[in-house]
Amino acid sequence: MIIPSTLQKAIDELSKLPSIGRKSAQRLALHILKSELLEVQNLSKSILELKENTQICKNCFNISENEICDICKSEKRDKSIICVVEEISDVIAIEKTNEFNGLYHVLGGVLSPLSGKDADSLNLKELIARVKLENSTEVILALNPDTEGETTSLYIGRLLKTFNVKVSRLARGLPIGGDLEFADDATIGRAMLSRIQL
Amino acid sequence: MIINKIDLKNFRLHKETKINFSKHLNYIVGGNGQGKTSLLESIYYLCTSKNLTQSKDLEVVSFSELYFNVVGNFSDLVNNNVRIFFNKEENKKSIFIDEKNIGRASTLIGNFPVVTLIPSNHLITQGAPSDRRKYFDSVISQASSTYLKILLDYNRTLKQRSSLLNQIKESKSKKLFDELNVWTESLVNQGSEIIEHRIKFLKIFQDYFQNSYKKIMDVLEIPTIEYSFLNNSVESNIKKAFVDELKKCESLEIVRGSNLVGPHKDDFIFNLNENELKKYGSQGQHKTFLIALRFGEFFYLKNIIGRTPIFLMDDIFGELDAFRANKISEYLKEIGQAFITLTDLSNFDYLANGNEDLIINIKNGQIINA
Ligand SMILES: [Zn+2]
Repeated sequence: MIIPSTLQKAIDELSKLPSIGRKSAQRLALHILKSELLEVQNLSKSILELKENTQICKNCFNISENEICDICKSEKRDKSIICVVEEISDVIAIEKTNEFNGLYHVLGGVLSPLSGKDADSLNLKELIARVKLENSTEVILALNPDTEGETTSLYIGRLLKTFNVKVSRLARGLPIGGDLEFADDATIGRAMLSRIQL
Repeated sequence: MIINKIDLKNFRLHKETKINFSKHLNYIVGGNGQGKTSLLESIYYLCTSKNLTQSKDLEVVSFSELYFNVVGNFSDLVNNNVRIFFNKEENKKSIFIDEKNIGRASTLIGNFPVVTLIPSNHLITQGAPSDRRKYFDSVISQASSTYLKILLDYNRTLKQRSSLLNQIKESKSKKLFDELNVWTESLVNQGSEIIEHRIKFLKIFQDYFQNSYKKIMDVLEIPTIEYSFLNNSVESNIKKAFVDELKKCESLEIVRGSNLVGPHKDDFIFNLNENELKKYGSQGQHKTFLIALRFGEFFYLKNIIGRTPIFLMDDIFGELDAFRANKISEYLKEIGQAFITLTDLSNFDYLANGNEDLIINIKNGQIINA
């Protein structure tokens, strides 16, 4: 089989993306090949900018274009409430529901001895520092409803016990074994409204 | 619930087998190794996506073929086509309901209830505590998806916690104890729920079981099932008992690096007239106990989930004396659809053989008449 190496390289790179198999990668590469030059330039530029022009927010660990993200900076957000999530994708999922008007804190994972994730590898110290500094009144734990998420919620609940802050957890009602990221907007919205206090 | 027909491709001896079933009793007759049990195996795949005898999926694919495919048409209130496709090269199994890929196996479980009685089941009464836990867990899971979910969570917690216990054993790090405490809390929360579910289940199931036992034995033997949890605890506050037992084993758990307390250590004790079956039971009593468990399970599931399970029986009449065989044959008339393998029909003239029953003769993976 002889394929021009430039095409082969593009296919190889594309197939490294999540949920893109060899066949889809080839289809994408051929599609790009047929597209207008300007469109291809826009695509490659936006991909590059995504990496070059973004950083992790120093405050909440969400993706941001500046040191501090737009959510943390916004005057309209209620700064006394922090919603703790596992990953950046969870911030996007909750933002889409428009049910939450506080700030976020991205943990960067959950406790999992099997995959070597301990408390030190999560952004927990930073969370405690924020609760003190921002005089938070409520921390909402919006971790996935699996055993790792539940156990991490228990851990954070214990950490925050000494502070004068209300700690609540999203109400169950998320689909069984489902990730927050894949739950539909209405479900997350409902879970957010009917959260329970720990 | 009824399975109307089945279509097998490259399934063990069955290169290509299509059968329309009776909605009552289906007798599958043939010599050893002719493909009788694999018919039951294929129906079990459709109901659970799992293998009936715990063979590997790979072993089920016909010799020199690359896949097997099983399609079954079920009817209850609605009609459903279930298809299990296994690709040998990718070692991948796909489950479809009405040609929609449903992903996880747990979506299937309980939707197509099935009760089995196969030779390896003797382990339920004669084997280890784990054999009994596995049996009752599967029955409760068919009746309650909540139970299945907690069970899966609990097993995950066990793995995480033993990994952490090992890390503590290696590193002696004090910091990890804070983490151990929360994993212990999850263990106790989920484990207590499992124990409470099992207690509640047994209260209801006991009657079903005892009724079935009476049907197949005239003698006045009273069989009972007892659930022994948390090292024979009698404490009514499960969580407290759990925590107390854990405290006793605190340091030992770290030395061993494993979970020593919880429902994964429990057992179910079978008694006949207050004598433990395992210690004092005869072969015949073991067999009767087992058959009563399965019939009890059948009627339990039928009432609890409101759908009649399919009953699969592999070679059970072979070892039974005429008295019990007669009783069971009578009892079969009360159930819905069943599949019963036999090596030879001529020895079983007492078998219920109603107008709507079907005899399927099978030889070398071929259906001779049906
Ligand atoms: Zn931020």
